[in-house]
Amino acid sequence: MIHSHTESLQPGRNPRLTGLVSTARTALFATLIASLGGCVTSTVQEVRQASTGMTESDSIVILGRRDRPSNDETELDFIDCVSANLGKGGTAVNVINEQAFRDAIFPWFEPRTAPAKTSDLPELMATPVVSQRLQEIGLRYLVWIDGSTVRTDSGGSMTCSVTTAGAGCFGFLTWENDSSYEASIWDLRSGNTVGRVSSDAIGTSYMPAIVVPLPFIARVQNSACTSLAGQLKSFITNG
Amino acid sequence: MKKIHRTKLLRHTVTLLLAVLMAGCMTTSVEVPATQFPVPLMQKLPVRMGLYLPEELRNYEFRQDLGDAGVFEIEIGPAQEAMFTNLLTGMFVKVVPASDPVTFDTLEADAVLVPRIAEMQFSTPQQTRTDYYEVWIRYDMALYDQDGTVLVQWPLTAYGKANTQNYLLASTSPTLTQAALNACRDAMAFFTVQFQTLPGVQQWLQATTPIQPPTNPATVQGGTS
Repeated sequence: MIHSHTESLQPGRNPRLTGLVSTARTALFATLIASLGGCVTSTVQEVRQASTGMTESDSIVILGRRDRPSNDETELDFIDCVSANLGKGGTAVNVINEQAFRDAIFPWFEPRTAPAKTSDLPELMATPVVSQRLQEIGLRYLVWIDGSTVRTDSGGSMTCSVTTAGAGCFGFLTWENDSSYEASIWDLRSGNTVGRVSSDAIGTSYMPAIVVPLPFIARVQNSACTSLAGQLKSFITNG
Repeated sequence: MKKIHRTKLLRHTVTLLLAVLMAGCMTTSVEVPATQFPVPLMQKLPVRMGLYLPEELRNYEFRQDLGDAGVFEIEIGPAQEAMFTNLLTGMFVKVVPASDPVTFDTLEADAVLVPRIAEMQFSTPQQTRTDYYEVWIRYDMALYDQDGTVLVQWPLTAYGKANTQNYLLASTSPTLTQAALNACRDAMAFFTVQFQTLPGVQQWLQATTPIQPPTNPATVQGGTS
């Protein structure tokens, strides 16, 4: 067996094995690239102000702040990512889709009308049709997420050219992304803020190019999402 | 062989140059979908509200030439019927569509709402140096009694924005559509909170005999989902 393996590493001697060696090299190269993805450092913090807990009939909604005239809205895919992560796994919780919630409770969570603080909740809950709808959908916790991912630094240069002989790039690019999000958790039953969870992640991506550009992408936003969702789930269910 | 290759290269170069030049003359045309307006969740007012949508509102199309950035067209008119029908269905016990302002007196309605778009504006991310498309709509709202007399007139300004980063390759059309849709939703939200605060509306509501809500909500006319 060992002998056979050694033979396979000598392309040209056995044409049938040449393809296999090529495939193995490509797989090894792809694995190497994947393992060399940009590094991400993330930190999560929580502040608890009251005890929490959820029953099977309770649900939660994750909302992005859409206040005006801010130009720093939380990305829709980040909200979707946190919602999806909360709704899966061993301790999955019932998560209501953000748009479905805004439509079900329209117009009370639009940018113009959404409650800015928990002291605005009693007035909203005093409307019978609203409190009835919230009971129907079993909403217990409302989580507001503030923050975004921004590019904080970038450098390097890359030149690409196309000639009759072919195309290619040469150079090196690097950029740094910074994700900073804070979730404020409102308990609709008590009408109070029960705590805050923040997630920060920073990572640098690289793209060297010698003929072919090779991106080593740091998944900063994804890391912040996973950390935040994990901590939120723990905060709500183990409170 | 070499000649054929050069001809091919020349053709590709010309095509590329034309594409770059044509980019400046590009027209971006979007239409606000009429199917995405929720019905407001609120205590219905016990009155019969007529709704008349003028032809110019139903066909309203905003067009602006931004020179090198291209021409932008936003078709907002076709969505207005669904938007106002859903809005009034959520706010009033009965909604009565009116097809002609002359026939207001024959309608079984306590008043007729007539909205018009007075002005529309938008901005691109290039103009504001942000990631957002923004849309502003100024409506002129008028409430008529059955005799065709204006009871109340007021302006309603709505705003919507959408982040290009939320759409694949930061593409223009879906972002601009979402910004216009958000402006329409904002108009609905603003109308619901503003309507009862208008002094003229308050007087009219006090003077109007309230009607009983129908036993089956499905009998309310005009709801569009």
